[in-house]
Amino acid sequence: MRQYELMVILDPETEERTVGTTVDKFLQVVKKDGGTVDNVDIWGRRRLAYDIKKKSEGIYAVVNFTAEPATAQELDRQLNLSESIMRTKLLRPGA
Amino acid sequence: MAKPAIRKPKKKANPLKAAKVENIDYKDTALLRKFISDRGKIRARRVTGVSVQEQRLIATAVKNAREMALLPYSSSAR
Repeated sequence: MRQYELMVILDPETEERTVGTTVDKFLQVVKKDGGTVDNVDIWGRRRLAYDIKKKSEGIYAVVNFTAEPATAQELDRQLNLSESIMRTKLLRPGA
Repeated sequence: MAKPAIRKPKKKANPLKAAKVENIDYKDTALLRKFISDRGKIRARRVTGVSVQEQRLIATAVKNAREMALLPYSSSAR
């Protein structure tokens, strides 16, 4: 098991209220494989430093979780497939 | 013949120590902005006055922040 930090930028067209549930839905895979979600931090709408997909804003969310490397890879893969997620970053803090 | 006196460059105070920063995080854009120029380029160690190891951490943090659109790659503003 390893600690991970995930940052995602969601499409600004999604409702800000539903962001929590959207992120939770993706995190099901972590719980299913025996990992734990330690912290979910929704930053909210934020201006991007440059346009991504012709959009100048994005909804940021930061998640800390513990999971097996394979699970983390799978989560990142699923996020990348989703249309509503503009960008992801998966890091191991302190590594 | 007298040698011209070599001027020792003045040692800069470490800005990380001054700000009491222990780990450099790509999410801390307020801190990272101190290490980029107004055009968005990473400032040289000569300018910032941090250690080699710290400069490397700053560089990777800035690059990670750029990928997540927290910092600009370049700003032609000006």
